[in-house]
Amino acid sequence: MLTDSKKLKPPFNYKTIILVLIIVFIIIFSAQRVGIPEIVDRLYEVSLDIIGVKETSRINDGLSRIFNEMWPPVIETKKDINLILNFDSSNLPFYSFIENQKVQLYETNIETLELESREEEVLFLVEPFGYLKVVIIKIIESIEIAFWSSFIALIISIPLAYYSAKNYAPNKIIYYLCRSIVSALRAVPELISVLFMVLAFGFGPAAGIMALGLHSAGFLGKFFAEDIENADKGSQDALKALGASKWRVLKEAVLPQVMPQYVAYILYILDRNLRMATVIGLVGGGGIGQELKGRFDLFEYGHVTTIILVIFIVVFIFDQISAKLRNKLIGNSS
Amino acid sequence: MSKPLLKIESVCKMYPGNVLALNNINIKVSNSEIIAILGPSGSGKSTLIRTILGLTTLNEGNIYFRSKNYKDKNFNIIRNSIATIYQNFNLVSRSSIIKNIILGDIAKVSSWRLLFNIWPKKTQNKAINIIKEVGLRDIDYNKRVENLSGGQQQRVGIARALIGSPDIILADEPVSSLDPQTAKDILNLIRETAKKNKISVLCSLHQIDFAKIFADRIIGMKEGKILFDKPAKKLLKLDLDKLYK
Repeated sequence: MLTDSKKLKPPFNYKTIILVLIIVFIIIFSAQRVGIPEIVDRLYEVSLDIIGVKETSRINDGLSRIFNEMWPPVIETKKDINLILNFDSSNLPFYSFIENQKVQLYETNIETLELESREEEVLFLVEPFGYLKVVIIKIIESIEIAFWSSFIALIISIPLAYYSAKNYAPNKIIYYLCRSIVSALRAVPELISVLFMVLAFGFGPAAGIMALGLHSAGFLGKFFAEDIENADKGSQDALKALGASKWRVLKEAVLPQVMPQYVAYILYILDRNLRMATVIGLVGGGGIGQELKGRFDLFEYGHVTTIILVIFIVVFIFDQISAKLRNKLIGNSS
Repeated sequence: MSKPLLKIESVCKMYPGNVLALNNINIKVSNSEIIAILGPSGSGKSTLIRTILGLTTLNEGNIYFRSKNYKDKNFNIIRNSIATIYQNFNLVSRSSIIKNIILGDIAKVSSWRLLFNIWPKKTQNKAINIIKEVGLRDIDYNKRVENLSGGQQQRVGIARALIGSPDIILADEPVSSLDPQTAKDILNLIRETAKKNKISVLCSLHQIDFAKIFADRIIGMKEGKILFDKPAKKLLKLDLDKLYK
């Protein structure tokens, strides 16, 4: 008779069935709590709306209010010249012109106390690409935030990685201390840490740079340390046997192995920080996010469209460049 | 009789789980002597080499280099005199041929030179001469070693071992990952350069035929013990039977 260790194990047993039942129960319970049935219900409703079976749907109603106002995107600026300080009509900004427009003005008649309207001709300074220029300046600020935060992350993560790598940490206390710092940095999301950074550095890019820098230092520290730990031991042993100290082994045996991967991580962090730099502005971290939040709060959805399109184009271009660079670097290592 | 270059005296090494990898090992290596250590897998050949190099600590016994005991982590006295050739070459795969060879001198170069990657001209010239000596004359010296064949990589490994002008080379199954013809060429190269430069060699091997041609002396190891230690010419079939049965 065959003992258990000699038999082919069955693909599932009663434990598997109990486990599956528990998982199904948790899924059903959790789905109710987080509103999954409502999501399904609304998606079903909107799909009926799209194919014409139903006349309206809650999703469509909610979004159409904004979408109707989002197009066309606003790229020009138009300012009443009376509101521009020291306006000089002989010295207009580049590629701009003055436009005469009739506007409806509302005034309260003091005698009748009624609101009266009258038409008046007002001169406007029109810059056809004025708002686009503002958005580009803001996105450049976001790109700068991404670069600086990635640079700060790199500076912080290098010593952290060295001391968080089991085979290089001088002792267990330093190893666990650095590992904890790396985990703590990763654990606090940028959108939370930027709130504290705003208190420390004030509203603007500095708060965003610090929030993103600290968070991504956690990621880089972890990635770098793991690569140091997993680097091929053979070449390290060979250099150790030749009398090389730890840092010499790290420089000559470990770094050449891990460098392409490190550059790929840095590019990924840069890419990620660029995307996040557009978001942290919403809570005071500077850059394009701040502009986006302002326009959204003023219900200027045409401006919001311009901002979203510019963010999309910049992120897409950067994503393509970093993907090509990453492929090139990792491809070379094979 | 002259003093041995390397003397391994009553060495024992135990791995966790009470696995006795080396059991009372005694070996003397003389100047310019080429010794092959034969034995089945798990006989303790690699552990012995790692112990001599100080990559693993020994539980009992002493190891002397030129009569100096370096057991107590005093490995600096051997660093400049012992070089190693490995089974898997242990090269820095993404670095160039010449860089890998120069790394044989890593402990001798100053920190700032290493930091900025500025190696002494003398070391560079020496590396170029050694590349020619190990039969890589016609190759681009700046080619990454990962792009070389196994045989070529082992030649780089030999060159790295030679650049420090060692007194003894330890080779841990240097040809086990190579085809028979390349293996023969590599062993010939090790023997020729060792004899030419008056270097002793302690080499663990699997292949009996190669060991007979390559070594002056053959040591048989099994289950951490030395079964025989005799000149290669006096090796008997009976010895090998004891070793592999």
